[in-house]
Amino acid sequence: MRSQGVGQLGRWYSRIMFGVCVGFAALIIALLSLVIWYLLAIGAQSVDLAFFTQDQSGDPTAPGGMRHAIVGTLVLVGLASAVGVPMGMLAGIHMAEYSQETWLAKPARFIADVLAGVPSIVIGILGYELIVVPMGNFSGWAGAAALAFIMIPIVARTTEEMLLLVPNSYRAGSFALGATKAQTILRVVLPAASGSVVTGIMLALARVAGETAPLLFTALGSRFLTLDPNQPFPSLTVQIYTYATGPYEAERRLAWAGILVLISILFALNLTIRVVAARSARHLKSN
Amino acid sequence: MESPTQPLQIKLPAAPAFLPERPAGYNMLEAIRRNEPVESTVHESVHAQPAVLSIRDFELWYGKSKALHGINMPIARNRVTALIGPSGCGKSTLLRCINRLNDLVDGVRIHGQMTLQGSPIYGPGVDVIGIRTRVGMVFQKSNPFPMSIFENVIYALRIAGERRKSVLAERCEVALRNGALWDEVKDRLTESALGLSGGQQQRLCIARAVASEPEVLLMDEPCSALDPIATLKIEELVRDLCQRLTVVIVTHNMQQAARVSHYTAFMYLGRLVEYGRTADLFQNPLLPETEQYVTGRFG
Amino acid sequence: MSQAASHPDRGPAIPPGSPTAARRAKTGLGDLALGIMARFGAASIIFMLTALLFVLFTAALPSVRQFGANFFISTQWRVNTLEKPAIGPDGRVLKEDGETVMTTIPPAFGALPTIYGTAVTSFIALVVAVPLSFGAAIFIVRVAPRWKIAGPISFLIELLAAIPSIAYGLWGLYVLAPFLRDWVAPTLQKVLGDIPAFRWMFFETITIAGRLQERPIAFTGRDMLCGGLILAIMILPIITAVARDVLRAVPRAQIEGSLALGATWWQSCWGMLRYARAGLFGAVVLGLARAAGETMAITMVIGNNNQIAASPFAPAQTMASLLASEFREAAGLHRAALLEVALVLLIMSLIFNVVARWLFVGGQSRSAAAH
Repeated sequence: MRSQGVGQLGRWYSRIMFGVCVGFAALIIALLSLVIWYLLAIGAQSVDLAFFTQDQSGDPTAPGGMRHAIVGTLVLVGLASAVGVPMGMLAGIHMAEYSQETWLAKPARFIADVLAGVPSIVIGILGYELIVVPMGNFSGWAGAAALAFIMIPIVARTTEEMLLLVPNSYRAGSFALGATKAQTILRVVLPAASGSVVTGIMLALARVAGETAPLLFTALGSRFLTLDPNQPFPSLTVQIYTYATGPYEAERRLAWAGILVLISILFALNLTIRVVAARSARHLKSN
Repeated sequence: MESPTQPLQIKLPAAPAFLPERPAGYNMLEAIRRNEPVESTVHESVHAQPAVLSIRDFELWYGKSKALHGINMPIARNRVTALIGPSGCGKSTLLRCINRLNDLVDGVRIHGQMTLQGSPIYGPGVDVIGIRTRVGMVFQKSNPFPMSIFENVIYALRIAGERRKSVLAERCEVALRNGALWDEVKDRLTESALGLSGGQQQRLCIARAVASEPEVLLMDEPCSALDPIATLKIEELVRDLCQRLTVVIVTHNMQQAARVSHYTAFMYLGRLVEYGRTADLFQNPLLPETEQYVTGRFG
Repeated sequence: MSQAASHPDRGPAIPPGSPTAARRAKTGLGDLALGIMARFGAASIIFMLTALLFVLFTAALPSVRQFGANFFISTQWRVNTLEKPAIGPDGRVLKEDGETVMTTIPPAFGALPTIYGTAVTSFIALVVAVPLSFGAAIFIVRVAPRWKIAGPISFLIELLAAIPSIAYGLWGLYVLAPFLRDWVAPTLQKVLGDIPAFRWMFFETITIAGRLQERPIAFTGRDMLCGGLILAIMILPIITAVARDVLRAVPRAQIEGSLALGATWWQSCWGMLRYARAGLFGAVVLGLARAAGETMAITMVIGNNNQIAASPFAPAQTMASLLASEFREAAGLHRAALLEVALVLLIMSLIFNVVARWLFVGGQSRSAAAH
């Protein structure tokens, strides 16, 4: 008798597994969305204008606001990018355009990938040993340094990937017109990839803005709105953590508000970045 | 001086003047394939014009494999010289040696000399960037930079350090006129070059290449990605350009070579097989192998 | 490049001092400068890793010297120096001038509890997350394209990956932990509590006054189970994204081939999973690396008790949470021991990452690079 192929049992099994896969995908999205929705809902109850206009009051029953923490995060991310972005881009340029120097480019690429997976608390500890200990106190510099350490491998790899996407015909054309390598990179290749490189940098910024662990032992945290990186420095993430794990009800409420603000900012940032990236990618393809 | 503007009919030569003393059944191309040493057949007519470029005993290796064998040829000034031959014959490789673009490829080794107006192209301490400003190049697929038309055209001037706006504007107009594109784009110089049609983009690349007033323009199959009308426009352009500079053009299209060039070099597997005036090569070649190729009987 | 040029000439000389010469010198300098700066950037990355390893190792040295290999098998983690009455050779308490002689027992540190905590929570996380992620990845690659939602779903999952770790920690602390404490644990206890085979889940053995005693575990909700589940939720996006990329790279010919032979939908999926098993294993390893290195969320829900207990309802400590809780106030040998734990965590994550990269042939996954 001719084989009829997979029996009924097998077909039912396949149908069940199909349902399972659909279910799992839906479950993941539902689960993650549930978490976010809950955080946003609770946070919405606690956030008010004072959150943005007041600093920490010192009175745990009426803690004030988190203005100092928001400014703190902005300053730390700004300082970190001042070092992290140029260094990362230079490394990315080397790995993409000077890749024939394999003795440097290959290990750098490999190590950049590996560094990106180092737990951020270990990086915080490095910052502590290298900066806080010699300096004698916790400081914004140490916090920014730890964030830069996280940023550099990410920016390097995304810059490299985006530069490699620029077609070689641009480079050949530029050289044929008598340009040096530096002129070719700076005038033709980098501008051609600028959209995606900027996207990569912004994503790295967003990632670093949400980090807590590396700041715990470097910038520590502070009650005050300060712009002096030589002292302990406040940040939104550490402030949320401190309040959330503390004993005071009022402070905990503020932590929820903080989470709402943090998630909203990061979400909006990521959304805009990815939408702009997708749009410019389509625009490039049509050309 | 022979003008290549009349359409050429390729007809079988009545009694081709073959070179004497060939053993019966000898096929030069066969011999080349067997890696036997062969002599290039260079017509006397190529020496009638002063040479702007001189290639002597030029050889090139990609790693272990030899791509160019003992090329000896002068390139006449203010004339169009075409390099023809089947795929893999080394015509593009030779072209890219002239402006030292092969420097960008790993593992390339060369032997021999090339001189431009008497000064060496290869040699210790040769100013490569200087060579590339004197020898321009247009590629098979047009590659305008993602910038405005104006920025594309004056790119070579900018990188040489020219900043005066008046000079740049003037040179831009001259280059675009030379590239037969001025009338079409004079009102949209600030628009992106990527918005032009394929043929316009290629003419833009030509304008860009001649903006720095090079002495030689290299063209690597410039029309292969274009439609026939765009192709014709560019061929007209080439004939105009050679009044001001020298053109070396690689083409796999024999009719194009016949239409456009004054001199034609037939290459095979990295060797120069025959080199002479286009009319001679197509109507009266000295080698039967050349005749076979130009009449389309192989490759 | 070698050349047999017979001309020593350099070509038409650029007159020195001319504007061309000046410009050419400037661009040459710029060319050199960019090359050097780019090299510096790339070298700094290599330097960063070396500095990390070097600094941690030197700072951990006192602990390494003190405990040696015992560090990895010892279950003690005692920060305080103990004083106990010294026992003389006759078995009785020593006295000197009428006063009891005390011996000081120095602090002892061992990493085994934290390694255990990390291992158990990561294991729970993988057991929960991997099936979910793989199923979702199969959905995205095989089903979603037909329903035209592949793009939006991937986009959504990557967006959800941008949620910072403390957000999960907060949710875990105030939602999941109470849920486990008030619903899951008691229900499980009612159902399984009387079965001897499951006794280990609900009772723990501790030493009270020198004697071993069994005691029912008090459910706080902040335990290894909660930690594992939070980690699972956190690593879902990365495993899904990487698995999706890996499965997408499976050639259509493989899928069509199996379908043409009469395979069911699931059988062809299984074929895909088998074909891509190296990359999928890499996705799991990356998820594992992320789980093991996760700090903030786990610190908030793990219970912060540096012990080894069998039950998932018992509190514990992972390497990362240990560092987060104790590092700030630590000093001396304690600090060195913590640094040794940090070094172990670092080396472990390096190994995981290297293995994962090695498993991705030719950059199958861009998500792997991004995460």
